[in-house]
Amino acid sequence: MWDWNFVWQIIPQLADGVVITIQATVLGTIIAMIAGLGLAIARRSRNKFIRYPFGFAAEFIRGTPLLVQLYFLFYILPDLGILLSPMVAGVIGLGVHYATYTAEVYRTGIDNVSKGQWEAAKAINLSTRQTWTQIIIPQAIPPMIPALANYFISMFKETPLLAAITVLELMNQARSVANYHYKYVEPMTMVGAFFLLVSVPSVIFLRRLEKRFAPKLR
Amino acid sequence: MLKSKYITKLAATALGAGMLMTSLTAPVAAADLAGLKEQGFARIAIANEPPWTEVTTGGEVSGAGPDVARAVLAKLGVPDIVASISEYGAMIPGVQARRFDMVAAGLFIKPERCAAVAFSEPDLCDAESFMMKKGNPLGLKSFADIAAKGAKVGVVGGGTEEKLAIEAGVDRANVIVVPDPQSGSKMLQDGRIDVYALPVLSISDLLTKANDPNLEMFAPVEGTPIFCAGVAFRKQDTDLRDAYDAVLAEMKANGEFAAIVEPYGYSADAAMQTSREKLCGGPN
Repeated sequence: MWDWNFVWQIIPQLADGVVITIQATVLGTIIAMIAGLGLAIARRSRNKFIRYPFGFAAEFIRGTPLLVQLYFLFYILPDLGILLSPMVAGVIGLGVHYATYTAEVYRTGIDNVSKGQWEAAKAINLSTRQTWTQIIIPQAIPPMIPALANYFISMFKETPLLAAITVLELMNQARSVANYHYKYVEPMTMVGAFFLLVSVPSVIFLRRLEKRFAPKLR
Repeated sequence: MLKSKYITKLAATALGAGMLMTSLTAPVAAADLAGLKEQGFARIAIANEPPWTEVTTGGEVSGAGPDVARAVLAKLGVPDIVASISEYGAMIPGVQARRFDMVAAGLFIKPERCAAVAFSEPDLCDAESFMMKKGNPLGLKSFADIAAKGAKVGVVGGGTEEKLAIEAGVDRANVIVVPDPQSGSKMLQDGRIDVYALPVLSISDLLTKANDPNLEMFAPVEGTPIFCAGVAFRKQDTDLRDAYDAVLAEMKANGEFAAIVEPYGYSADAAMQTSREKLCGGPN
């Protein structure tokens, strides 16, 4: 049933997939962090012509499956003259999808800074920019970290969806190995083991972050 | 008292869960002819790649592979087929794991597959072809050309073309597995792949459906033989396979076989001139 020779034989090919999986997660995380912040700020805008469209877009993206969005980016955008490579389409798909979640984290983080802080900043005549960079953001970020990290771990676990748009990430490499040798046990077990090997330490690290930052919430 | 009650409850739950598990995992009866007759249908794997196998928009299972299997099985006393769509590479593990009773997807008979499954006598034969942009801009005539030019080739997952490409030295990153045959022509139109490799009849079907004057077919691909497919059974199910073969041989002799496959464009003679033993390179 389990063939160690086969395992050693397919490690190099699966390792190519691991590299792509990690790249996709890191790039997707960067997009989600930056776009999410932009989205959070846009949704707090006093101008309803900014606030409503971004609010609608965020709800729309959160309310539809990532797989559908990936197909849209991959198969439908070319009809509109936008041809993204599979990896670029995949990373944008992951990043934008998760940006709608990170935006909520940013929003609650910002809302949780007490009203008194805003009033105090106003009282000592700080500019809007100073209020954000020196008062609000430094207090808002620490409690956000565990929630953000949680989303990045779940993004990591969703990267196999990119196989559906031909990105040669780990799952796609494993599928290709399995199809070539008619053997599923080893490649699929190795994919599962890899994800577990990364997720479990990440979760332990996350618990530590929570312990460190959580008391400040109270 | 309380404790023993708790234990009884726990045991009952466990028993219930166990029974549920058994009922969920039960349908793995042996695929012998008697079992199939009693069941009233056979579960077959298909790929949804016309004209080999096709699920129509109305949900009907058709295509040359399922039509042959349906006719043979009807004569054996199994009135119906139930089809599952699967990737080519997943069909052999699937039949081994009893997810299907047989594969009637036009799986080519090749020695390494003969080692894993029991094939029927050949039924559907075809040559390999390429679909590409009009005028064959990269001048691709063989899988070796694809490797030499560093071109991107679309293939269906686990299909013969994927192996042919990798064996010809095409870089794995340039072998793009398309999710289904129809997406392949879309990816070619969008320029995501340079060439799409499939058997002649599949490409002809896609070209008719795509109806795009900028696409054309090159066939036969240089250096590839004519492949013939058969129905694949579990290695242990040779009795069922032999019964299937007996009926298939009758139908080949009386012309019923040709009447099914020729309207789809397959040559009945090509299938009748070769044999499983030749294609497997030995008994199977």
